[in-house]
Amino acid sequence: MIELKKISKSFGRHRVLQDISLSVKTGEVVVILGPSGSGKTTLLRCVNYLEKPASGEIAVGDFKMDCAQAKRGDILRLRRKTAMVFQQYNLFRHKTALENVMEALLVVKKMPAAEARSRSVALLEKVGLGGKLDEYPSRLSGGQQQRVGIARALALEPEVILFDEPTSALDPELVGEVLEVIRDIAREGITMIVVTHEMGFARDVANRVVFMDGGVVVEEGTPDDVFQHPKEERTKQFLRRITPEANWVI
Amino acid sequence: MQLDPSFIWTAFWQILRAIPTTLSITAVSVLLGFAIGTVTALVRLYRVPVLSQMASAYVTFIRGTPMLTHLLLIYFGLPMLIDGLAESLGWSFRSVSIPMIGFAYISFSITAGAYMSEVVRAGMQAVDRGQVEAAHSVGMTSFQALRRISFPQALAAALPNLANSVIGMLHGSTLAFAVSVVDINAQAQIVASTNWKFFEAYLAAALIFWGLTVLIERAAALIEKRVGAYNRGGVA
Amino acid sequence: MGAPFEIGYVFSFLPKLLETLGVTLLIVAGSLLTGIVAGFLVALPRMYKIPVLRTLSGLYLSFFRGTPILIQLFLFYYGLPELLKPLGFDLSRAPVLFFVILAYGLHTGAYAAEMIRASVEAVDRGQVEAAYASGMTSYQAFSRIVLPQALAIAVPVFSNLVIALLKDTSLAFTLGVMEMTGKAQTLGTLTQHFFETYIALALIYLVISFTLEKVLLAAEYRLKRHEVREEKVGRSFKLRRKGSYRAVLADIDAGKGGRL
Repeated sequence: MIELKKISKSFGRHRVLQDISLSVKTGEVVVILGPSGSGKTTLLRCVNYLEKPASGEIAVGDFKMDCAQAKRGDILRLRRKTAMVFQQYNLFRHKTALENVMEALLVVKKMPAAEARSRSVALLEKVGLGGKLDEYPSRLSGGQQQRVGIARALALEPEVILFDEPTSALDPELVGEVLEVIRDIAREGITMIVVTHEMGFARDVANRVVFMDGGVVVEEGTPDDVFQHPKEERTKQFLRRITPEANWVI
Repeated sequence: MQLDPSFIWTAFWQILRAIPTTLSITAVSVLLGFAIGTVTALVRLYRVPVLSQMASAYVTFIRGTPMLTHLLLIYFGLPMLIDGLAESLGWSFRSVSIPMIGFAYISFSITAGAYMSEVVRAGMQAVDRGQVEAAHSVGMTSFQALRRISFPQALAAALPNLANSVIGMLHGSTLAFAVSVVDINAQAQIVASTNWKFFEAYLAAALIFWGLTVLIERAAALIEKRVGAYNRGGVA
Repeated sequence: MGAPFEIGYVFSFLPKLLETLGVTLLIVAGSLLTGIVAGFLVALPRMYKIPVLRTLSGLYLSFFRGTPILIQLFLFYYGLPELLKPLGFDLSRAPVLFFVILAYGLHTGAYAAEMIRASVEAVDRGQVEAAYASGMTSYQAFSRIVLPQALAIAVPVFSNLVIALLKDTSLAFTLGVMEMTGKAQTLGTLTQHFFETYIALALIYLVISFTLEKVLLAAEYRLKRHEVREEKVGRSFKLRRKGSYRAVLADIDAGKGGRL
């Protein structure tokens, strides 16, 4: 269970996040939607402290911390309970697909090499890359890189996986294979927070949709509620703009 | 020996007299070097047969050997060549009438040419191929495309490296002492040994070079700002 | 001006010059070591933006890159003993090589510092974020993710640095060090066959530079085995690839490559 309380953050004078609270139950898939600049990516990056919130509280599982007084040890503990899948994949360039998945298991989890290896191989097979174990990222397509990125996140067995626009950098024909993989793991009951522009995917996979604009949560509810019967004017506007091209990558 | 701060100032003024020599060596070697470098780079880029192999050998040799050896080879080798030719062809010209600074001009230009050719080449390679294709598509000849489209862009891209080359030649001009040319360095040596105040004299010389280098850097930054105006802004 | 040209002298000078190769290489190795240590010390305050120290680093870089190595050599040789005398250090009996290596070392340090900073900064920010996101400490992220990649990026610049240093050592004779160039001068004076000596000298430098370049190129190739090999350029203008290390390098060459 993840609980964000009154998270605030500014870049200079611009308030990106204004007292945002959000709670995600174990096994829940929450999709955050919103126009660009709405603060959704910043919020996601606050969850694992890649962005430092000015104030607020973050709780993941049994660990709780006050953002204003975060110490190095706290940040490390928080990050070890979460994992992230990046828009630009961010695979370690100098490591093979297999090494990318194994790296944190060895270094962070101090897992014996044999065990790390067998777990990593299994996960890469699961995302359909059993044949690419020893390839370097530069020799993989975007879709394949992102699937390695997902395997890398899964391997850590985190309390939550944070997806930061995982398909935005992909060529349109590669989006499908990545969404497929995310859909599969969503069904397995892994807790996920997903920032995306893929409306069809959000409708399909999300237990709950959160619509953000201007640094605040405008509206949240089941996909049905938000997509079919939006209450707020801002949500309606956003959906009107986005719906004609709902199945396209933006 | 006791440090004499006031002598740094005295030495500074005495050494300043040699600035024209240093600057003329730098200017000549940079200008001739740029011409040699551009030709060398183009010959290699367009893969002109025979010439491009010769150009490669020239660049490899110069870049693989110290600038001082170039100067010494020219100083001792060129007179042999000239006098040999003059004798067999019956010219009245003899190498003794070449002023010492002439050897520095020639040798440093050859040195600069090789380094500059790499700078020009890298600049040309930084220009997007689409630029040349676009030039061809509006009907320009290859030469027009080179002169009006690629080369100006290459120059802009090469500016920081060109500035480095100029600074390199300024610093390299100190080697002229080897052929008895009195540049800033040699003048410092003279001032130092006549007054027996080595540290002070070289400190003054260092300050002069430091100032000149900073000037070149500033100027280059200014030019870059103006020339590179088209390249600014937008998303990378 | 000297005796007429005889090619035979070039060959007979080669082994004589090679006797002093050890001194040249000693200066190169000693200065390189000093330079890398100095480079790290100077680069760190700039990378971590430590006030005051950062300004000092900037001054160091500006001075050592802003004045000729020849002047630096004299400055160290004549100045250091005077500066340290009041502090109780007597350097009047220190060997010349000490001053030579120190001057070349600190000179190289300025270029090494820029090399280190530029290579580390050339590593994509996302790499560190990914390391942090998977729970690594900043030390782990640096040593396991950033450093190996920065090293690969640094090799070509390092290669230029070493070769430039090798060539610069030809000035050590001005302080009376009997390295290869000094030996060449002696041989020239002795035999009056100057041109032949300097041909032999140039050949030796050329072979060493060439070997160094090839060895470091092989090292670069190995360190970058994770990158897609760039296709051999078969046309006059190369497309600039976004994000390729080579393109990055074009912008970070520490500048020494174009000097001397």
